[in-house]
Amino acid sequence: MIRVGKNVILTDSRLLKKVSKKLIKNLKKSKIDEEIIFDIHVSLEEALRNAMIHGNKSDIRKKIIIETEIINNRITLCIEDEGEGFNFSCLPNPTLDENLLKENGRGIYLMKHLMDKITFEKGGRRVVMVKFLDRKPL
Amino acid sequence: MDIRIEEKNGISILRMAGDIDINTAPALKDSLESVIRNKNILILINLSGVDYIDSSGLATLVEILKSLNKQGGKLKLTNLSVKVKGLFEITKLTQLFDILDKEDEAINSFDKQK
Repeated sequence: MIRVGKNVILTDSRLLKKVSKKLIKNLKKSKIDEEIIFDIHVSLEEALRNAMIHGNKSDIRKKIIIETEIINNRITLCIEDEGEGFNFSCLPNPTLDENLLKENGRGIYLMKHLMDKITFEKGGRRVVMVKFLDRKPL
Repeated sequence: MDIRIEEKNGISILRMAGDIDINTAPALKDSLESVIRNKNILILINLSGVDYIDSSGLATLVEILKSLNKQGGKLKLTNLSVKVKGLFEITKLTQLFDILDKEDEAINSFDKQK
């Protein structure tokens, strides 16, 4: 199975849901495990939310590029914003006692836990996430 | 997202259905703040109709928990799906929230603490 897709959307949370729903619907059609789909769903929306709020600073004129690639048992999602990037090497751990009551900081932590691989490129403007669809690495 | 509020034994029970995400978390926050404004500070959220929550939903619940803690109130959660509970476990919010399996059990646990 090889499927590749690309979407470019403006910074609008309604479009975020539209893109996410479309991808999740397609994954469900492919009879992928519900738990794996849930992990992808959460991670995709967290990445898009980060791109909109932290990357593009909610500027509705700025764009977000979403690339999806499904090859055999692996999905790769690339989300790129038009922001200034961020220092991804020193993110606070939201599960530490001193951070538990903080309202923010859980998005990337969830993405790292739910996906099999996550890397940041272009100074943090682009995130690449990989999930194995049958739970086994290639 | 649909939110229904019921009073039982002095506890405000919010029964929710739908996703809690970037678009719906503000409505959840408004509903909870409205309950608190009416001096109801014992709150139980039944998440049986919620299959999806993101970090903005988790942030809203943390914000309300902090507000209730300051006022001597309590916030408990019940009927979480396996997937939603998994997110609470990953983020260790299970250490912060009182999470009970069944609504009756959760209501009784408020009584014991009154």
